[in-house]
Amino acid sequence: MVSLARKNLFHDRVRFVVALLGIQFAVVLMTLQIGFFLKFMTNASVLIDHIEADIWITAKNLKNFDFGLPFSEQKLYEARRVPGVLWAERFLMGFSYWKMPDGGQETIQVIGFNPETRIGAPWDIVEGNLDDVKYFTQIFIDEADRERLGFPRVGDEVEIIGQRARIAGITRGAKSFVGSPFVFTSFKNALKLSFIPPGQTVYILVKVAPGFSIEEVKEHLARTLTGVDVYTKREFSWKSRRYWLLVTGAGIALLSTALLGLLVGTVIVGQTIYASTMEHLKEFGTLKAIGASNADLYRIIIAQALIMATVGYATGMLLARAFLNVARRAGLEAYLPLEVLAGIFGLTLLMCIGASILSIYKVTKLDPALVFRS
Amino acid sequence: MSAPWLVLDRVSKVYGDGTSAVVAVREVSLELQGGRFVLLMGPSGSGKTTLLMLMGCLLKPTQGRLFLFEREISALDERTLPPLRRRYIGFVFQTFNLFPALTAVENVELALNLKGINGREARRRALTLLARVGLSERLHFLPRDLSGGEKQRVALARALAGDPPIILADEPTGMLDSRTGRQIVELLADLAHTEGRLVFMVTHDPRVRDLADDVLFMEDGSIVARESTGDLREVVSGKEGR
Repeated sequence: MVSLARKNLFHDRVRFVVALLGIQFAVVLMTLQIGFFLKFMTNASVLIDHIEADIWITAKNLKNFDFGLPFSEQKLYEARRVPGVLWAERFLMGFSYWKMPDGGQETIQVIGFNPETRIGAPWDIVEGNLDDVKYFTQIFIDEADRERLGFPRVGDEVEIIGQRARIAGITRGAKSFVGSPFVFTSFKNALKLSFIPPGQTVYILVKVAPGFSIEEVKEHLARTLTGVDVYTKREFSWKSRRYWLLVTGAGIALLSTALLGLLVGTVIVGQTIYASTMEHLKEFGTLKAIGASNADLYRIIIAQALIMATVGYATGMLLARAFLNVARRAGLEAYLPLEVLAGIFGLTLLMCIGASILSIYKVTKLDPALVFRS
Repeated sequence: MSAPWLVLDRVSKVYGDGTSAVVAVREVSLELQGGRFVLLMGPSGSGKTTLLMLMGCLLKPTQGRLFLFEREISALDERTLPPLRRRYIGFVFQTFNLFPALTAVENVELALNLKGINGREARRRALTLLARVGLSERLHFLPRDLSGGEKQRVALARALAGDPPIILADEPTGMLDSRTGRQIVELLADLAHTEGRLVFMVTHDPRVRDLADDVLFMEDGSIVARESTGDLREVVSGKEGR
């Protein structure tokens, strides 16, 4: 069929460009905000999601991973005795201070894990040998935090709360949610480099033995261990994300901006399609007169919306990519897996089709006498 | 004699209601056959265009019945009417009503597409129709680059898409100079006389009356006079003789 929708759109180039700008605005805003939001959410539970434990044991009433509080290491041995526990490990997360080359200090999050089992260890090593953390105050830092820490290199010696430490290697993708750089080392070293007292741990990580259900072992641990909370990995991950998302409102703010982009885009596209429909109303009347059904007219309007959505999405994504490159250079990362990009395309389609509803209503009510007026 | 193609049986159309009601068409009865070129004349506001819309299934009568090829269409809903319009009726408008974003040939193709003819066959037929109305040279011109006469020829070719037996034309010469207007009316008359279609044309132009088989005169919503071919020619020559 002759594409009246396409030809009408491209015939009125100014109007088409205005509509595209509206869609691009919405696409860019949605992509950036959703990307930042997802990265935000992913970062809020980055360690929990990467560590191979099924169950996390934490201090009582902990709000999220980053606010970890110490409790007696004795619980570790109690946990190991619970049926269905394959292994249980200490895991430490404590805030500390890194002395900068200029004499200032930077807050860091010291992560202590068992280097023998490597449970809780960084998962992507760019440089260095993880075995080195078994030795006295050898640490790993993330490549994303090097600038914040004064560009230290592997082999450099640094000072953390008065203790000397040596950089043994560099990790990738282990960026802390609260912005304080992660410093990975052995549990033993971590006790020295943080304010966690000896004989205490901040988390206990538990792996469930084959043949046992995670829920069942979790319930058993919760009954056996007093003064602590027990979560499955999924529960603790969501608890940490939920805190930043809902309690602080930070995530909601990002999502609201994405929603705002969607609304503004819908209004602009709706206004453009409606104006275009009004301008072509006589043509729609003519189509009706020469035998087009209402469904034929709807198809034309929807086709216009789909063309605008596709072109607007493609060009909007190019713009979003440029913005994301700039943001990345400024240290702001976004997380946009393929399914999210597909979802944004789906939203763009919905936005454009939704924006056409008023136009569809208008042509449904079209007075056929219109075609006979000069 | 075969059954009439289009029958209006005491058809009325009233706009509005109560004290604001306006009777646009008042109890019009007509029986129209194929192969006839019929003119409808009358002053502005006499109800000519409303009558044309009723005949074209674009409006429903307030009272009376309409039959298209012996099928009553007055009570059909908006879902049933478009296929009837596609199959039986071609429209020609005073203001051409071409799609400005489409070329001459695409304007005709679009009408063929609506009738289920697509692709190369649609292009072939569109070219044939444009040749039929004498417009083979400017196929790929947009309407803005065509003269008024050329636009009306495209509109005529579009009306003929799908080969409808009935052509309804609403003052097709209204925007044209007299010479071009005459050519268009000759084309319309030819469609009736050589192809056996029913061509029903609303016009203000008395100079084309000599081409018509029947002329209807409308006033205040009613058909007030009717002339057949013979009478018409006498009237014209009588005027000329004075």
